Amino acid sequence: MPFLHERLPNGLDVIAETSESAVSTSVGFFVMTGSRDESDALWGTSHFLEHMVFKGTPEIPGDAINRRFDDMGASVNAFTSEEDTVYYASVLPEQQHEAVDLVARMMRPALRDEDFETEKLVILEEIRMYDDQPPFGADELCRAAFFGGHPLGRSVLGTADSIRGLPVAAMRDYHRRRYAPGTMVLAASGAVDFPALVESAKRLCGAWEPVTAPERLVSVSPRAAARPGRERIVRPAAALDYAVWMVAGPDEHDPDRHAARLLSVVLGDSSGSRLYWGLVDSGEAEQAACIHQDFLDAGVFITQLSCDAADVDELTERIAGIYATAASGGIPPAEFERAQNKLASRVVLGGEKPRRRLFEVGLDWSHCRTYRSVGDNLRIVEQITLDDVHRVLKTWPLDAPAAAVVAGPGSGS
Amino acid sequence: MKQSLHSATLSNGIILVGERLPDLESVAVAFHSPAGSIHDPVGTCGLATVAGEMCLRGAGVRDSRQLVEDLESAGVQWSQGVSSTHASFSGAMVARHLPDVLPIYADILRRPLLPEDELPAARQMVLQNLAGIEDDPAHRAIAALRRIHCPAPWGMPTEGISADVESISIDDVRGFVGHHLQPGGMIVSVAGRIDWDDFVRRVDDLLGDWPAVSSAAVGVGPRGPFIHHVPHDSQQTHIALAWSVPPYRDDASHEATAALAILGGGPSSRFFTEIRERRGLCYSVSAGYQTSRDFANAVCYSGTSAERAQETLDVMLAEIGRLPGTISPDELGRVKARAKSGLTMQQESSAARAGAIARQWYHLGRLRTLAQELERYDRLDVAGVEGWLADQPPRDLTVVSLGRDPLEVRCAIPA
Repeated sequence: MPFLHERLPNGLDVIAETSESAVSTSVGFFVMTGSRDESDALWGTSHFLEHMVFKGTPEIPGDAINRRFDDMGASVNAFTSEEDTVYYASVLPEQQHEAVDLVARMMRPALRDEDFETEKLVILEEIRMYDDQPPFGADELCRAAFFGGHPLGRSVLGTADSIRGLPVAAMRDYHRRRYAPGTMVLAASGAVDFPALVESAKRLCGAWEPVTAPERLVSVSPRAAARPGRERIVRPAAALDYAVWMVAGPDEHDPDRHAARLLSVVLGDSSGSRLYWGLVDSGEAEQAACIHQDFLDAGVFITQLSCDAADVDELTERIAGIYATAASGGIPPAEFERAQNKLASRVVLGGEKPRRRLFEVGLDWSHCRTYRSVGDNLRIVEQITLDDVHRVLKTWPLDAPAAAVVAGPGSGS
Repeated sequence: MKQSLHSATLSNGIILVGERLPDLESVAVAFHSPAGSIHDPVGTCGLATVAGEMCLRGAGVRDSRQLVEDLESAGVQWSQGVSSTHASFSGAMVARHLPDVLPIYADILRRPLLPEDELPAARQMVLQNLAGIEDDPAHRAIAALRRIHCPAPWGMPTEGISADVESISIDDVRGFVGHHLQPGGMIVSVAGRIDWDDFVRRVDDLLGDWPAVSSAAVGVGPRGPFIHHVPHDSQQTHIALAWSVPPYRDDASHEATAALAILGGGPSSRFFTEIRERRGLCYSVSAGYQTSRDFANAVCYSGTSAERAQETLDVMLAEIGRLPGTISPDELGRVKARAKSGLTMQQESSAARAGAIARQWYHLGRLRTLAQELERYDRLDVAGVEGWLADQPPRDLTVVSLGRDPLEVRCAIPA
């Protein structure tokens, strides 16, 4: 799968991983902005702006954007995280030109007053929707408790108050500063006509003015929870308790992040892991999982537990015991190899889907200006050693004092 | 594109369907046994689900743990699930592992240990899932809709009912597995980098001498009321609507799915445009098509804050009522474009193709090539969709709301 790259004079990077056998083309813009780039006054702006991008440009009304994507038969969407805003469309190869044309034009949205007020109502509904469903805000409160004043402590959606209070002028200014060619990547994967992609980029994005983007608020990696201890969200009608806790782990520049991921598979994968056999297989927990998440300047191990409220203390203790056993006794080679095989299989199977590759290739380039093929990713997994995993266990203790939140009916302590 | 589709029938009735996708490294295999929840006896709702879970708790020479570990050592992304009609055991993997993995699946199907000491854990796992569903208002609204719209046993929750699950005994499980996890009606589907002849030979060796037993017919009971409210303490009210449309194997299903896609199938659909984009009433709204072999339903959903739910329901009903006589060629063109690219892109996923060909065989008793599927979409025209809507306009709607307050069904649609 050849990788191709060209940088426009204004700084916009155009990249593609091409595949002769693919029957589809995926294209996307990766914008280096997310909730960590917001101030209190702008809380929720990145995600709200992602919605507004679909409401049209000065020339194209929002409903025409939706119609044009459907005319192409495109599968189109977007997401916003703490660090990225990503817009993507998957189309048949003959629609590449049209898809790139539309997505590129959308990056310069109209941000009309009346659309802003209507879409505000949709965002408020999205906030209510998540607030009504598990884990009932426990994940976001836990993030705030772990990161404290660090920019990653901010939730992506914002709050009902921050969204209601946001003026459209602030969003326009945010867009001007953050959607600059030097902080965006146009990426494509699958059956890509790269010369045509570059041509489209020059025509549509070549006149975008370079803006000196504000520095990202990068801090020192937190090695400990800012607010250790357990907080509670009471939802009297909830059937289960939902517990989330976080401790520090390697960040995205730390070579040990790969071993951290493998460790999370050993300990807390959705099947066949120590938490699975210890809590889920027995039917004591609805879910018990451990995942590793990495950011530019921080990493976390997140443990998620859902169970009967009466059992949450006992099962939390049991998970602590499982982590302590791993730290003291290590991981047997057979268990390590099984997790390694699972990860390798995920790399190969995921590598078959152009959409999935678009995200991997686009985010790698956006964050690190690095390209890694499926083969590279497979080698990374194969080169993880048991020593690496044991070093992660020692360097980033999972039984460190955590920031924890339990949401549920309130019968637990 | 030249497609490589295959099918075969073993002497005991097991159907094998396959598609070779030589550009992929992976293979996906699925065993669909006719052991779905429509066979749950009255009073043991959830038995099929508990039985499906029990089949993974030891089979052949492997105990529960060894079974999962052997699958995962081969890098198999496995899953087990029960629908109203089938218990399905499936896995996706790098192709070279398939020969080692097939015997494990054969053990699960033919030699499940069904150990009594694992039953409490399996039951408890199903009960945990039910408690989780209690906290998922959208899921509950759709389940409540299904429960009253579809006659029993089709409307009964596949996941089970807590009180029933608690009463399930090991004899219930063993009896169910003995009757329903059997070759008659079983479909084995495979897609990806396969050698078809080798696959058939291996499956025949593993399952070909498994004797078939006859399965009892399913009796059908009455349906529930047309309008129902589920009280729930939440900020949002969840709205679910259904009416009957032709099943997939009926020729008219194509017109029906196109009409529903125009109503609520994509970002340019009428629901999305009118309810979300113009009025900002909700975050999610959709209309879709859900088919069984002998009947199908149009199912619509939206979730919105309690004080805006009545307006959302009113607009949904108005858009449904407005559908006949108003389909434009542009709208239909967009539906066709979306369907065609979706069908084509399936070729990039072995799991998606394995699922699609199994469904085709179940519904049609044969496979359609991609070219045939695309041609069917080419033939769709506005006159055909309007003709179908004129013959079978949306009527007899079932309306469920879940939230603080009931909604008023101010409906111009015949009910």
